[in-house]
Amino acid sequence: MSTMPSATTGQPFPASGPAQAGGEELRLLGIGRRVAERPLLQELTLTVAPGECLALLGPSGCGKTTTLRLLAGLDPVSQGRILLGNDDITEQPPGSRRVAMVFQSYALYPHLSVLGNLELGLRLRGVPAREREQRIGATLELLQLSELRQRRPAQLSGGQRQRVALARALLRQPRLVLLDEPMSNLDAQLREELRPELRRLLCGNGPPVLYVTHDQQEAIGMADRLAILQNGRLQQVGTARELYERPVNRFVACFLGRPAINLLPQEGGRQLALRPEHLRPSQGEGLAARLLRREWWGAQQLCWLETSRGPLRMLLPSGQQLPDSLQVCWERRDELWFGADGERLEGVW
Amino acid sequence: MRALLLLWSLAPLLWQLYSSLVTPEALVDPQAVAAGGFWTLSNYRQLLEADPPFWRHLFNSTVVGAVSTALTLALAIPCAYGLQQQRGSLRFATVLALLAAAIFPTVLLFLPLLQLARSLGLGNQLLALSLPYIALNLPLAVLLLRAAFADLPADLEDAARLEGLHQTARLRHVLLPLLAPALGSTAILVFLFSWNEYPVALTWISRLELLTLPPAIARIAGSSLFTVPYGAFAAATVLGSLPLLLAVLVFQRSIVNGLTQGAVKG
Repeated sequence: MSTMPSATTGQPFPASGPAQAGGEELRLLGIGRRVAERPLLQELTLTVAPGECLALLGPSGCGKTTTLRLLAGLDPVSQGRILLGNDDITEQPPGSRRVAMVFQSYALYPHLSVLGNLELGLRLRGVPAREREQRIGATLELLQLSELRQRRPAQLSGGQRQRVALARALLRQPRLVLLDEPMSNLDAQLREELRPELRRLLCGNGPPVLYVTHDQQEAIGMADRLAILQNGRLQQVGTARELYERPVNRFVACFLGRPAINLLPQEGGRQLALRPEHLRPSQGEGLAARLLRREWWGAQQLCWLETSRGPLRMLLPSGQQLPDSLQVCWERRDELWFGADGERLEGVW
Repeated sequence: MRALLLLWSLAPLLWQLYSSLVTPEALVDPQAVAAGGFWTLSNYRQLLEADPPFWRHLFNSTVVGAVSTALTLALAIPCAYGLQQQRGSLRFATVLALLAAAIFPTVLLFLPLLQLARSLGLGNQLLALSLPYIALNLPLAVLLLRAAFADLPADLEDAARLEGLHQTARLRHVLLPLLAPALGSTAILVFLFSWNEYPVALTWISRLELLTLPPAIARIAGSSLFTVPYGAFAAATVLGSLPLLLAVLVFQRSIVNGLTQGAVKG
């Protein structure tokens, strides 16, 4: 299985028009979509800077793919505006938005060769043959697809199909790049290998990039910022570190981070949340706990503990020995408190 | 088991072939005929030397079939595509209506159709036969093609939309090439219907040289009122089946694909 070009010399957005220079900012102003009175997405407001990669992250059915389809123009918005640079593209048909989208299924035309897949759109948009040849040649080169140009999609591996889909998207000379779970059909190892290559190709030099995934590792590895969605609502947007350390609510705190954060119920419906890596064993003071089980994770071990206030997960260096009965302690500054409504409480202690 | 099935399906055809190649006497009492008087091509000679010759009816049927098939597909493709774009109850209601039309017994229609042909002056015009044939086949063709459209991944058309392809371009360059098997099988079904259709062809056409195959075969007469020309019937059937057999052999893979398409979902 081949990988993305490791030494990327060319730019993926060559010879692009003036609109491309530096890329444009994407602004979503309270966009939403409802189908039969059921809201799929509610009042999403976001700004994505030129060249920035923003990952849309959330459980399935949270509105990630809906957002991409609204941005692409494949589905109409029920409310709000979409601004790209100085243009309001809310009402523009998908064909004239110059949006590139890589589908989860890649959506390659199965009856056409790689070359045919890349050529069809350009040809039917009336791009002259000379220019077509030159642009396709450059893109094939960039994505190391030149030798596969005569193959049908069925004769390609998953990684190769993904690159063809990417090539077709880039040939659009996009003002906006949308990626809908582009790696979900690839095996885990290939996914990890492709991440930096995809970033190098797409991010940082031109249009804003929106990346939909349900895999938080992939999101953190790919994106400059993450936007977390649940039930069609934006929960929080920020860098991975901001979201991890200062989640606005319990959902974000639980969604990000593996092993998952510990929640200890407190009086008044409040909850104390502690990351497993912030816990450590201590002598004499702290919360009394009993060791149930240890999972060996290589450099670390995950300890499953039972306490009077509920179960706890504690992450320790794997060499460390533990007695069956112990005390657990943590730093006050690592505590996160959530109210009964799930929102984070500031300055509880 | 397979041989048994094959025999079951092929035996009538083989009997027709045999009957078309022997003399009437051999057909009635094979034991009594001398070796020289057994096999004959006279049945075929009778057909081809008739007035009008038999190939004329073959030609008529081919023309009507081809025109009906082409026009049915030309109408059914946009209908099916448009129907597939509809959502919810409208689509369901339309599919039901089409189904009702498709299963309506044709025999009940031939008298009203004859009235229509009279008042519109469509009698004795070969290509006018295409009008009822198209109308009768359109519901089934639309249903089959809609199921085929439903089986295509929606992402494909979305990708084409994002590339700036207009609706006709999406149909022509992305969807229809992928529908080739369904189009092939639908075409064969429409053509078969038109090839075999009897009551409308019988009532609309009275001039001999314009007859299509089924009424022409029914008109084959023996030397006297009391002779049934089995041999000539058989020869006509063989000649009438050959073009279809050839067509099916050529398209058989796409027919099987097309008929099983939409069976799982849609």
